Amino acid sequence: MSVVANYIPRDSFVHRLSPLTKLFWSFLLMTLSCFFRDPVVLAGLFLSIVLVALAAGILKEMFPVFKGLLFIAGLFILFQIFFITDGRTIFTLIPGTGIGRVTDIGLTGCLAMGARMIVIAASFPILMGTTQIKDLVVVLVEKLKIPYPYAFMFVTSLRFVPTFMQEMDQIIQAQSSRAHRLDNKNFVKRFLSICPLAIPLMVTSVKKAERMAISMETRGFGVGKRTNLHTKEFRTVDTAVCSTLLLLGVAALALHFKGILM
Amino acid sequence: MIKVADLHFKYGNIDLEVLRGLSFSIEKGEFVALIGQNGAGKTTLLKQFNALLKPTGGSVQIAGLDTGKSTTGELARKVGFLFQNPDHQIFMPTVFKEIGFGPKNLHLSKAEIDHRVEEAAEAVGLSAFLGQNPLLLSKGQRQRVAFASVLSMKPEILVLDEPTTGQDYQEGIEIMEMVLKLNQLGHTIVFVTHDMELVATYAKRVIVLSHGRVLLDDSCRNVFYHPEILRQTNLFPPQIARLAQMFAQKPALFSRPLTVEEIYHEILNLPESTPNVCCS
Repeated sequence: MSVVANYIPRDSFVHRLSPLTKLFWSFLLMTLSCFFRDPVVLAGLFLSIVLVALAAGILKEMFPVFKGLLFIAGLFILFQIFFITDGRTIFTLIPGTGIGRVTDIGLTGCLAMGARMIVIAASFPILMGTTQIKDLVVVLVEKLKIPYPYAFMFVTSLRFVPTFMQEMDQIIQAQSSRAHRLDNKNFVKRFLSICPLAIPLMVTSVKKAERMAISMETRGFGVGKRTNLHTKEFRTVDTAVCSTLLLLGVAALALHFKGILM
Repeated sequence: MIKVADLHFKYGNIDLEVLRGLSFSIEKGEFVALIGQNGAGKTTLLKQFNALLKPTGGSVQIAGLDTGKSTTGELARKVGFLFQNPDHQIFMPTVFKEIGFGPKNLHLSKAEIDHRVEEAAEAVGLSAFLGQNPLLLSKGQRQRVAFASVLSMKPEILVLDEPTTGQDYQEGIEIMEMVLKLNQLGHTIVFVTHDMELVATYAKRVIVLSHGRVLLDDSCRNVFYHPEILRQTNLFPPQIARLAQMFAQKPALFSRPLTVEEIYHEILNLPESTPNVCCS
């Protein structure tokens, strides 16, 4: 999962697009996924994300991300599915008792929620994998007029995801060396076993943030107006891609409101 | 005690091998330093000793246990691992509980845990701090807490990854003196450091790693008197050894001293007729 916020250098069409275009694509996918309820349509949206990853040449790197998202969606479905009692019963885990009843509405609803979560989350790693952080900051500040400290805070929090992953790995190693078990079968014990990992992670993260703040201040962060050495241009191809995406999005919504795509 | 046979290792899908066919044995009670430039594979090798990393080729055996088939938890009774950064493990509200975390994981009785915590705290000079929050201690004290938490598990083998990093000279020496005491009690010690003075003072045997291979594996004295080989991996012998080697280019004055004490005694024993080689 360390690839979640890491730039993966490739010479692809997707990489060359403006970050603004990719942000628009990501935003459009999120909007569409909120309207659609049919798991098949949402699966179609996810397929389009996979195709973009393929076009960007980063599909191999994205596999662990997709696998992780599928796992979380699976858990999400599992926690919800037995609590929706409306609709026709498809099967029960313990026949005759009503325990673990799964209904058609429950199944469709949970699958849609799981698929929606995947669509909303999956475009983001591709945006980050194909966009350099400095370009993203420039676009957020220059084009979207977001104040620099906020834009910086946003991208820094993303930048730190892989760092925290590495930190967590070190912490797991340190606690495992003291015979700490994470694979406890008892759910409560398993949950409690997170404490020896969470507390050191929190402490080291706060220390890291403090060190970073000092280091930034000593290099003049927040003093006066900033200028950028490089700017990311919004080219004709970006206009073309955004227009196509907008047309496709409007068409999909029109079909949705006509009752064809649900 | 530790048997490494044709050990190969690479991380995940990265094709580059970090360890490329290492073979050596470490007997019970040895005091071994692992040295080499950054990226030579020292820490990667250390992590093989308690199955934090598993071989991708060859094998590592710890007291007869194959690390490829054992878990870190299983090996925790035999191998104690002191990490470079104590903050990666400290999470308990008191020093007492922090030191007792490992023994508790070994399912020892409360009386035994209490006994081990007090013993370990005394060994590292933290008896007066048992009720304090370990996160509020100084870096040196936190490293001692981490060290005590390893000691409380009473491992036969102690693996130390740069144990003196971030410590002042005195703190570093104190930690190494504790390690030496444990070695004298029969514990096997393997440590990684970039401090050659420390190696010269404490290690009996030195394994030099370079690009995932063993470049030298010999007694401390023999290793440091091979400067031409050490230079291949950006290592330099301790200052006393370098000084003695400079004099060796003149009529050999000294045998092969490594520490200030050794060269001091050699100077005291120099014959009075020794020529003034420094200024000649």
